[in-house]
Amino acid sequence: MSHFIKKDLLIFWRDRKETLIALLLPILLIIVLNFALSGVMSDDEDNQLDLHLGIVNQDDQEVAMTVLQEKLVNEASFTEANALAVSESMYALQPVDQLFAYFNSEEIKDFVTVQKLDEDEANQRVEDGELDGILVIPEGYTAETLYSSITGEAPAAQLRYKLENNTNENNILFNVIDGFIDQLNYQFALSKVEGSENAIVHAPQGGVETVETHTPFTLTVAQYYAVTMGALFALFLAATVAIKTGEEIRQQVVNRIYISNAHPTQFLMGKMVSTFCLAWVQLLFVLLTSNFLLDVFPDRSASFWAGLMIIITLIALSIAGLSAAFTSLSLRVKNIDAANGLFMFVVIILGAIGGGFVPVYILPNWLQQIGEWTPNGLALVIYTDWVQNETVSSILLSSLLLVGFFLLLVVIGILLYPKRGNAK
Amino acid sequence: MLETVDLSKSFKGNKAVQNVNLYLDQGESVGLLGPNGAGKSTTISMMSTLLKPTSGEIKLNGANTLGKPDELRKVLGVVPQEIALYQELSAYENLRFFGSIYNLKGQKLEKRIQDALEMVGLKDRQKGIVKTFSGGMKRRINIAAALLHEPEILILDEPTVGIDPQSRNHILETVKNLNKEKGTTILYTSHYMEEVEQLCDRLYIMDHGAVIAAGTKLELLSILSSEDTNKVELNHLDESFIQEVKDMEGISKVEASNLQLKIIAKKGSNLISNLVHLAEKHHVQIVNFHTETPSLEDVFLHLTGRTLRD
Repeated sequence: MSHFIKKDLLIFWRDRKETLIALLLPILLIIVLNFALSGVMSDDEDNQLDLHLGIVNQDDQEVAMTVLQEKLVNEASFTEANALAVSESMYALQPVDQLFAYFNSEEIKDFVTVQKLDEDEANQRVEDGELDGILVIPEGYTAETLYSSITGEAPAAQLRYKLENNTNENNILFNVIDGFIDQLNYQFALSKVEGSENAIVHAPQGGVETVETHTPFTLTVAQYYAVTMGALFALFLAATVAIKTGEEIRQQVVNRIYISNAHPTQFLMGKMVSTFCLAWVQLLFVLLTSNFLLDVFPDRSASFWAGLMIIITLIALSIAGLSAAFTSLSLRVKNIDAANGLFMFVVIILGAIGGGFVPVYILPNWLQQIGEWTPNGLALVIYTDWVQNETVSSILLSSLLLVGFFLLLVVIGILLYPKRGNAK
Repeated sequence: MLETVDLSKSFKGNKAVQNVNLYLDQGESVGLLGPNGAGKSTTISMMSTLLKPTSGEIKLNGANTLGKPDELRKVLGVVPQEIALYQELSAYENLRFFGSIYNLKGQKLEKRIQDALEMVGLKDRQKGIVKTFSGGMKRRINIAAALLHEPEILILDEPTVGIDPQSRNHILETVKNLNKEKGTTILYTSHYMEEVEQLCDRLYIMDHGAVIAAGTKLELLSILSSEDTNKVELNHLDESFIQEVKDMEGISKVEASNLQLKIIAKKGSNLISNLVHLAEKHHVQIVNFHTETPSLEDVFLHLTGRTLRD
């Protein structure tokens, strides 16, 4: 089979225009897009989140201890002495103070500005677009929260988050607050287990995690396009290989191969392996060159680069699978030109919904979900996870899916491959 | 050695080839003639295992090859009508690839490549990229690619179409050498009657998907043994004159071109006096008249009603 691979690689190499386009155009586009889009994507300094939250505090912390004590005696059958001791101990937790401390912490105040307001004024400011949302601390919140943490009953008064429109910013704020409540509940639970007298209350940590949940594309423009552009042009490579198969049919060399006793699938396997080699070299070249020119991955470890090599290998495999399916289809159809047009159309669709042309997060959610089932979209998911987490477990499932995608395409290619003498 | 028995092929109900019976003895050189659409290429595609016949058999040394074409492929070399080469590769790279698919390797492959290049006279151009070659050179490499595995049977489908006389002569010499010196069995199709006359021991003439005549050159010429081919040059051509010539007794075929008529007529049909009489009647002047011994071209015209290049 090696002579088939060598032949295909040589034919591609001899087509200097095609080679230059495959290698240099992605680099050029990455450079252009990097300059054109810097500032648009989430990691840029100028584009940091700047959220405004109004807090309406209707709770009277002064009376909270007395209210708690009475509730414990009247509703939880505590003795007066017990109720006093527990109330004094729990009162030190001061959830409202913790909430304000949380919003004043370094991590949160960088992107959330808090204003204390009354409810009417806060509502007006939301309507005017000056605030992204309102957090209402209802009357009796401290007493109810502490009572709830002692008895395990659901609190009668809870924080209320009000928003005008459902936007990304609102969702982020909601998750910041949600993260705080989770942490607070966790601390209460800990204090119960350890004994309230000895409870050490930690300030909730959380804003950073919430932001990550809602901004999955924490890649720079250069990082994003280094892989999506490479994958897009690798997809074009699969179409190019199929188009060259069309030329082989026109030139009758396919027939010449058929009448030798070479096993028919050698032709297909040759196409697949040569496409794999070409895609691998192309992806690596694009990544290395863009890293060299734009410092895409500064100070990354050798293991990070090793992971990237594996990701490149997976992408190249899926592209090879696609070329197998395209090649078999080329051999089956009567109108080669129509087939070539179809391949280009498929590649452009895959490229578009897989995030090759525009950042995938600006696409509608349903399209993003479909995009994740394209080879390049799946590759982007794996790559993003690797750049962010650099853990094998985070990319394992997606990687297996991509391998599955490759195997599926190979099976399709083999099933579609015409029997000797049936090629058009 | 190679034989087709009632070979037929239909495409969507249309019969492209019907009950064709051919045979090629070992070391023979056989011509297959026919106008465009006669079914030659379909027959060759079936014989070279590219196309499955609708019915009939292809036998190699008496054994049907349809179920097991591998044995036939081993001994068969095919030179297709199209230039079946990778245009972006050099002549050498093409031959190396096509030799490799026949499992030739190392020194043996290298020797076969050089022998094939020597045979087609392009040894000194082996590094050249095929797309930069002239049509004749491409056709010679096209032949060389079919010779690498030293086939016992070589099928050549119009190998001299559209090339210069020098390359054409070279190809004809190559085919002749393969047949005479190496004993390769040849099946040769062409639009050029003189090539077939020069190269082939026997001929098959196909028309409308069927073999309409077969035999040696002499056997085919005997079809016209009772007829003469007459060439008449006139000062002008008159349609009514031509029509009356066609209607004359003893005339088989009349073909007009420029100011010349080619008339195939029965011997002793008193053609000259009838023709002079008719010319006077239509005020046409006979400038020249001569009678020829019939050629294979005339036989072809007689059998198909068309010339080979129609």
